[in-house]
Amino acid sequence: MKSPEIFDEALLYECYECARCTGSCPAAFAVEGFNPRNFLLTCLRLGLDAVVSDEKLWCCTTCHVCEDRCPQMLNVTDLLMALMNEAAKRGHIPDKVKAGTGMILHTGRVLLISKRVSEMREKFGLDPLPEIPVEEVEGILEKTGLAGLLG
Amino acid sequence: MAKRPKAGSHSRNRRKDASGEPLRIGVYVCHCGLNIDGSLDCEEVARFASTLNDVVLAKDSLYTCSNSGQEMIKADIREKGLNRVVVASCTPRLHEPTFRAACGEAGLNPYLFEMANIREHCSWVHLHDRKGATDKAKDLVKMAVARARFLEPQVETHVPITRKALVVGGGVAGIQASLDLAESGYQVYLVEKEASIGGRMAQIDKTFPTMDCSICILAPKMSEVGRHPNIELMTLSEVESVDGYIGNFRVRVRRRPRYVSKECTYCGDCAKGCPQHAPNEFDCGLSTRKAIYSPFAQAVPATYLIDMSLCLNKHGIVACDRCSQACQHKCIDFSQQEEFLDLEVGTIIVCTGSDVYDPSSLTELGYQRFPNVITSLEFERLINAGGPTAGHLIRPSDKKVPKTVAFLQCIGSRSKRSNPYCSNICCMNTIKDALLIREHWPDTKIYVFYIDIRAFGKGFEDLLQRARREGVIFIRGIPGEILQDDRTGNLKLIGENTLLSKLYQYDMDMAILSVGIEPRKDSAVVKRLLSLPSVADGFFMEAHPKLRPVDTPTGGIFLAGCAEGPKDIKDSVTQASAAASRANILMSKGKVTVEAITARINPDLCTGCGACSRVCPYGAILVDPEAKLAQVVEAACAGCGTCAPECKFGAIRMRHFSDEQILAQIDALAETGAKGKILAFCCNWCSYAGADFTGVSRMQYPTEVRIVRTMCSGRVDPAFVEYAFSKGIAAVLVSGCHPGDCHYINANLQTEKRIQRLWKKMARHGLDKERLQLAWISAAEGLKFSQEIQAMKEIVSGVTDEEIEKGIRAFSEKGQAA
Repeated sequence: MKSPEIFDEALLYECYECARCTGSCPAAFAVEGFNPRNFLLTCLRLGLDAVVSDEKLWCCTTCHVCEDRCPQMLNVTDLLMALMNEAAKRGHIPDKVKAGTGMILHTGRVLLISKRVSEMREKFGLDPLPEIPVEEVEGILEKTGLAGLLG
Repeated sequence: MAKRPKAGSHSRNRRKDASGEPLRIGVYVCHCGLNIDGSLDCEEVARFASTLNDVVLAKDSLYTCSNSGQEMIKADIREKGLNRVVVASCTPRLHEPTFRAACGEAGLNPYLFEMANIREHCSWVHLHDRKGATDKAKDLVKMAVARARFLEPQVETHVPITRKALVVGGGVAGIQASLDLAESGYQVYLVEKEASIGGRMAQIDKTFPTMDCSICILAPKMSEVGRHPNIELMTLSEVESVDGYIGNFRVRVRRRPRYVSKECTYCGDCAKGCPQHAPNEFDCGLSTRKAIYSPFAQAVPATYLIDMSLCLNKHGIVACDRCSQACQHKCIDFSQQEEFLDLEVGTIIVCTGSDVYDPSSLTELGYQRFPNVITSLEFERLINAGGPTAGHLIRPSDKKVPKTVAFLQCIGSRSKRSNPYCSNICCMNTIKDALLIREHWPDTKIYVFYIDIRAFGKGFEDLLQRARREGVIFIRGIPGEILQDDRTGNLKLIGENTLLSKLYQYDMDMAILSVGIEPRKDSAVVKRLLSLPSVADGFFMEAHPKLRPVDTPTGGIFLAGCAEGPKDIKDSVTQASAAASRANILMSKGKVTVEAITARINPDLCTGCGACSRVCPYGAILVDPEAKLAQVVEAACAGCGTCAPECKFGAIRMRHFSDEQILAQIDALAETGAKGKILAFCCNWCSYAGADFTGVSRMQYPTEVRIVRTMCSGRVDPAFVEYAFSKGIAAVLVSGCHPGDCHYINANLQTEKRIQRLWKKMARHGLDKERLQLAWISAAEGLKFSQEIQAMKEIVSGVTDEEIEKGIRAFSEKGQAA
């Protein structure tokens, strides 16, 4: 199955599997089985379904190095991000990602601000972190649909 | 402005030809197997043709170009008394000569033959619209018949050919072409930009697949060039300008001074004392040379030269004379000046070769940052006995013999970031290089990182298998990046082995980037000087990719070697011999037939105003102010027709592309459904060929367009465009070669001026300017042609009946008055 709003299949055919993307990918070296080239090939040969259910998809750090080096100038990172979006729509969000995103939804921050962080800021003469209007953040994320995706 | 008289439309339906003989037109519709009949109804087209006035017979046949097809036409001419023949089949660029010859053999003047292109311009571009394609083919046949009514017999003239040839570029292709022609007895001028002939082949160590020593097999040929009585070798020389035409080119060559006379014995004493050093270009900068130097040991001519940009003696002031002191034969002459040489030649062979891709922009590979990352050409110099290391394989950082060597394939090839094409030679070159290392340093571990190995030639696969057997390791997957250990200079290659889907990290002592071939940086100059078209990649385009692979579209100019496209030595030599043979055929005939399409001036109408002479790109029209008369120099006229629209008095008649013929075509196409049609004027050399290429590539576009061929867009008289609008045609495309690429030097600049004026005029009449389009489409831009027609279809669909009426009113006054 292909999903034309996600990527242009004709473009994917331009990939000739030189593997510069995977060879350049910092995530590929950190996570065994995370392989941008393989994701592209799988999309083309086995369809979207085979890719979006793969939790490793979410290891992409969106550093865009693969795109910089792709000889065919394919937007590899954009494609991976589109695949993550599609996966999210289908409910395939890894628990850790869900937890992290939930943090933003409920606290407005990616990380919990520990007492130690506050102390360090004070030590370096930085202002205390401002209060986050959590309700406003929630409202925005409600409207963007992120809140809904997290279910 | 008094516009010249035009033949009225009533006379465009004439039933008799100029000699008063009733017209008897035969129409032949070719099926071309299924090439035409597969997407349109040929029988139906033939039936339609038989209903046209003056058509006495119309037939369809399977292959009209076959012997039996030609015999059928000849028999009909003789038995049915045909005096015009129309064949609806492929492009006239392919078979017009065939059918003209057949007509001639049957006693009909070849210029009474006309072709309708229903293959490249119809069946192949409308594969899925049988009705639309059939209707268009009918129109094209009707237009051809209309034009045929006005065809006139012509007599071709012959022009003598200078039996001398110019070869541009002294690489192996230029050397071979020069030797072949010289051996055939022709005087050859070989112009080489560098100080020695030899080209890229002289730099290479061994050749694949036979592992011959490159310079060992090249050097004897180089010296043969140097001493051949029929070859005048000009080094440090460049072509400055080219005038003339097939058989009669006038070439000006600029020769830079060498500052060392021919008496040089190549002893090298001069260079020993020279205080100035520079990187040696021949060794890719891996060694140094002096300001006075020889390019390489086997150089021809074997004469030293002085690099004046480096020498301490500038502007004739001698500040250092160590070289001339050292020279026992007193060969050094600081007073030498640049000189210009004027040559007259009949044929030109372009062998300007190629450059290698510079991988510096691929920063992840570290070329020029890491000393042990080198290119394949640098490697050739490193491993060459005549090179900077006397053939010992060492790596640049610490001069140690590398124990592990990596080759990276497709660097600068097959990529949108560099060159999109395959460079042809790099796979085999790498395999050869790998085997060379294996031969001399058998303990070296050799890795080849590739995407696809293309071992397509004779003996190539054997060599690949030999490399595999001998332990060269082939890994599928190009490294994503190369890192350097700054302490040791060792390299780490990081990537993925795609066959195992496993990541790898290899430590290597040296990495060789197998760089691709690209057009020479100055090829644009050659292109402009000789009006050569090039393909999108920048390589020069052949006249026909299969059947005229070494001819250029310009008569008398041929191609050989990498200037035409990346290729190996064998192919370059083959092509060079082919080009020499093609030039030989022309020159041995001693004369060339000039198509009878040149301009004729009617002295009764000419006022000698000279407007025509001012736009002629060839200066072929001479004006006699006293007699108030212009005259065409037939041998110099190329038949572009740019002069004709300029004449206010209608005194210029373009033979075979006359006003009546073109207006008759417009009439025929406007007869039915004009308001939905596009009239496209295409020049023979670029846009018509481009439209042919669209067909050959089976790119699809709307059926509304009807093409009228002219030799040059300069022939397109604004009156033709106005006439088309007056007949209610929705849109007009005028197309030609790109500015600077015009087959007729710069005739298309006149086209642009005229279209600009027409746009202004249209605006004055309140007409939609979009209805007239001007497009530059080269012979290689098939896609652009189809896109242009797509875009025009959009425009046509927006043209209202009211707008059409406005156009008819705006221009019909002239149309009727004429």
